Amino acid sequence: MTLRLTQAGLQHRDGSHALRGVDLSIEAGERVAIIGPSGAGKSSLLNLLGTARPPSSGRLEVLGRQPWQLSGRQRQKLRTHIGLIHQAPPLPPRQRVVTAVLAGKLGQWGLAKSLLNLLYPLDIPGARGQLAKLDLADKLFAQCQQLSGGQLQRVGIARVLYQAPELLLADEPVSAMDPVLADHTLSVLCRHAGEHGVTLVASLHTVELALAHFPRVIGLREGRIVFDRPAAEVDRGLLDALYANEQLLPPAPPHIGATAVQIPRC
Amino acid sequence: MKRLLDAGLLLALLAAVIAAFAYLRIDLGALTGSENLGHMGDYARRFLSPDLSAGHLGAIGKGALETLAMSAVGTLLSAVFGLLLALPASGRFGWAAANPARLLLNALRAIPELVWAALMVFAAGLGPNAGTLALALHTTGVLGRLFAEALENTPQAPAQAIRLQGGGAVLAFVYGTLPILWPQLLAYSLYRWENNIRMASVLGFVGAGGLGQMLYVHLSLFQEAQASSVIIAMLALVFAVDALSGWSRQRWVKA
Repeated sequence: MTLRLTQAGLQHRDGSHALRGVDLSIEAGERVAIIGPSGAGKSSLLNLLGTARPPSSGRLEVLGRQPWQLSGRQRQKLRTHIGLIHQAPPLPPRQRVVTAVLAGKLGQWGLAKSLLNLLYPLDIPGARGQLAKLDLADKLFAQCQQLSGGQLQRVGIARVLYQAPELLLADEPVSAMDPVLADHTLSVLCRHAGEHGVTLVASLHTVELALAHFPRVIGLREGRIVFDRPAAEVDRGLLDALYANEQLLPPAPPHIGATAVQIPRC
Repeated sequence: MKRLLDAGLLLALLAAVIAAFAYLRIDLGALTGSENLGHMGDYARRFLSPDLSAGHLGAIGKGALETLAMSAVGTLLSAVFGLLLALPASGRFGWAAANPARLLLNALRAIPELVWAALMVFAAGLGPNAGTLALALHTTGVLGRLFAEALENTPQAPAQAIRLQGGGAVLAFVYGTLPILWPQLLAYSLYRWENNIRMASVLGFVGAGGLGQMLYVHLSLFQEAQASSVIIAMLALVFAVDALSGWSRQRWVKA
């Protein structure tokens, strides 16, 4: 069992509930898509599974361990086996793509090697290989701020592929890509998961992509699981109920812009 | 009512200015008297023929180098210690560490360089050691505070992402925070270096080495020609550093 949630809840600081009483178990090597309207709690669920936040209630088990019962050091060790793909990858604007990708292995490398890698990228072929899968090898030495949103998302994916975790969590990984590229990128992710026996959980706002690439689909609405079934059994009626009254525009993804440098003059 | 208050305030200010002149017994008449104007002209004229002899220029070069070294080492030390203090001061290690660090930075900053220099001359003896220490102490306070603010304004998400994939706190800082932060740190440090080179030339007046000390000695001995060339050297030094730091900012910070 790779992931198990038992009656898990997550409460925001303002007291509102992001997730309520979620029961979920995902076997090793499964590929699962999470769909649902904006604000349904998809990101919260992935943050919970990625040990970004502890559940406010219930029990969380990841890769056979309870992350919030572990010591800080053991939790960091567990996290090296978890890869989280962010919707807007938080990459420093001036960092080079090669450094951003190689940073995927920081949890596995020692301190000295990691610091050396900052001065000179130690595994350029490794980074280039992952980027090539995503058709981005030509941007190896570009700065992250020179890339478009979709390109940044692919850099984020390349970093996690380079990390080679056992559990791959993806929060709207292809939201800034055009349909063809999104399809291709999801195939790369799914193929990687299949070849390496990696468990893949991805939230998607495009239902067609979820049904096409993932054998199992979970519908989430208002912090609760509405349905959890094989992709073949998801029909129009279920989807209509899931997305009823949904606002049409998804919220704009947060973006880390280049921070303006203040230069005091006297 | 408001207008009356304004008028009263204005009258009070005027009275204060007049009272200040009366109290200080400033004699504006003497300032414009023809004899005194002549004296002033003579004094100024003696500055117009700077001493450019090789021996004096050599001494100035040595003094300029000393001033430059004082300001550079002082700023470098304060950038290092400022960053070390800025980390707790920005609240990264909890409130228990933040408050003492902020208090220390404020204390260092509140005492001006000249006072630090006067203190350090007693502690480290006459000469550039004292000046360097004085600059380092005051600038640590200034840079530490600026760095702490920059740290607080830096997005946390990149560092958090490194932590979430198992990276340690140090690596999260150097991979996630520093790449966003360093242009700002560099800009602040260069700016303070400009300030410090000006300050370094004044610190000599309390015996802390450099061009300032030369200027003080020559002025005290009424050697206006030598003092004049020292002042020209100071100007050249400040302009050169302004140009250098402006150029390096263009090159590294704006890009």
